[in-house]
Amino acid sequence: MNDIVYYMATLAVLFCIYNILTLGLNIQFGYTGILDFAYITFLAAGAYFAGVSALPRAGGTDQEYILGLSWPFPLTLALGAVVAGLLGVAVGGTILSRWNLRSDYLGIVTVAFGTICYDLVGNLTPLFNGWFGLRGIPQPLNRLLNLNPNTYTLFFLGVCVVIMLVLWLVANRIYHSPLGRTMRAIREDVDVAATFGKDTVKVRMLAMCIGCVYAGIAGGLLIEFIGGIAPDSWTTAETFIVWAAMIIGGQGNNLGAAVGTLLVTVVFIEGTRFLPPVPGHPLLIAAARNIAIGVLLIVTLRFHPQGLVPERRARAPRGWQAPGAPMPASSLSNNPGVGR
Amino acid sequence: MTGGILVVEGLNHAFGGVKAVAGCTFSLDAGRVGALIGPNGAGKSTVVNLLAGALPLQRGRIVFEGGDIGGWPMYRIARRGLIRTFQLSREFGGLSVLENMLVPPPHQQGEDLLNALFRPSVGRCEDRRHVSKALEVLNTFGLYNLRDQYARNLSGGEKRLLELARAVMAEPKLLVLDEPMAGVNPALVERLCEHILRLREAGITLLLVEHNLRVVDQICDQVIVMAYGRTLAVGQMAELRAHPEVIRAYLGSAEA
Repeated sequence: MNDIVYYMATLAVLFCIYNILTLGLNIQFGYTGILDFAYITFLAAGAYFAGVSALPRAGGTDQEYILGLSWPFPLTLALGAVVAGLLGVAVGGTILSRWNLRSDYLGIVTVAFGTICYDLVGNLTPLFNGWFGLRGIPQPLNRLLNLNPNTYTLFFLGVCVVIMLVLWLVANRIYHSPLGRTMRAIREDVDVAATFGKDTVKVRMLAMCIGCVYAGIAGGLLIEFIGGIAPDSWTTAETFIVWAAMIIGGQGNNLGAAVGTLLVTVVFIEGTRFLPPVPGHPLLIAAARNIAIGVLLIVTLRFHPQGLVPERRARAPRGWQAPGAPMPASSLSNNPGVGR
Repeated sequence: MTGGILVVEGLNHAFGGVKAVAGCTFSLDAGRVGALIGPNGAGKSTVVNLLAGALPLQRGRIVFEGGDIGGWPMYRIARRGLIRTFQLSREFGGLSVLENMLVPPPHQQGEDLLNALFRPSVGRCEDRRHVSKALEVLNTFGLYNLRDQYARNLSGGEKRLLELARAVMAEPKLLVLDEPMAGVNPALVERLCEHILRLREAGITLLLVEHNLRVVDQICDQVIVMAYGRTLAVGQMAELRAHPEVIRAYLGSAEA
């Protein structure tokens, strides 16, 4: 019994973390149309910085890393978010403001950026312990709380749910504001948005930055929860899992992002992680997982390209009456057609 | 040359070795409907793109309302009050018709991130005003009943009307229309002409790039003829019809 609760709580925590990730990508792509194929790199940035700020100074252990600040929990997460956001501004700033590239080129540049980061972090061991990665990140606040592992998971779930709900609210507010509308206009046609006086570079940078902060927070939570991260857990392939979740769920709809996250990352990735291995085929489950996601993606795009929960069409507020509208044919004859 | 809401002097633009615009000079008075005409390849669209900041300025001067706007980015030119439309309708397809109308209004406080997050009422209040104006404009343009449709689902003619209606929402001082009558049936041409004249009455200066000379004759009071990238003549349509250089540019000649 206890095991099942623990297992479900673990999945729920991962759902919250991945959902934050998908929400952020939705702000970048679903709202604003930014193709960011290095999205997972920003998760890594958040995770590494949250990790090294939580760990004590390196030296006594067999790990090498920078900082080592022994900061308490919310501060570590904040640092991860800030670093990821700044990195997003740096990448976005280099690409968008200097060249104002079209989205597809932007996508290619982000792939290159992600690859550079991956190789850099892997090979530059003094930074974040190289290919071995960081491990032994202390559980947030547990020095104060002293909970047993199962109870602690429930506590951490609570923290994750609160953070996720706040970020959901933020994402929704942006979507329904004039800022969100401008972002969506930029997604539809950057040049036309600019010819209507929208500073498209600034708005795209903003979307890039907000999305990266989301990734940074997700990364921070992830490393604090599982206790470590290594370069192999944030390869370019991982980015596409998040993309698949967003596309299957429905771009431009936060509820869709949650549905997609549930399906792809939790049911397919994490849900199957604990299945018993098939004897003689140790890699079968991992391979089947990726195949299943690929099939799901293709089926969605073929039969429901807007995703399972598509973006909702905005409706004009009721109660506005145009002068004489909707104009019935009869009114045209006795009315010269000028509004009163 | 002084005066005029828009003054263009010695505009030059080359794409690689091709000189698309080579010495374009004209001035447009406020409150007029100007026309930029000329055979294909005369450089009209390039001039429009230069005016709107869609192409970098290579040589020449563009003065709008007394200020030099040459080399400004698109959004700054638009904020100054110079709005352009496109030769092919470019609606925000995934937005509703009404939302298309709500993007252009200038100085929207709700576009500020902090307002969006902490004071959503600011944006809502402002939107209420814009919505009521937008619905009125849509009504004038006969698009009121389509307000909730995705803009991409409109017909070609409706998209043309939306393009114009949307530009009105930007509160332009000068509206540059790039071939507004392209691919539009004669009945709609009449309606578009009426709308354009109504905009002039509302105090907006207009500049049309147009191939339909009957339309130009009917609604434009200042015509600029371009050929081979330079201005050939400026004046009224009636005088220009007899202008030998204009005739040669349009019809060609034995010595060409």
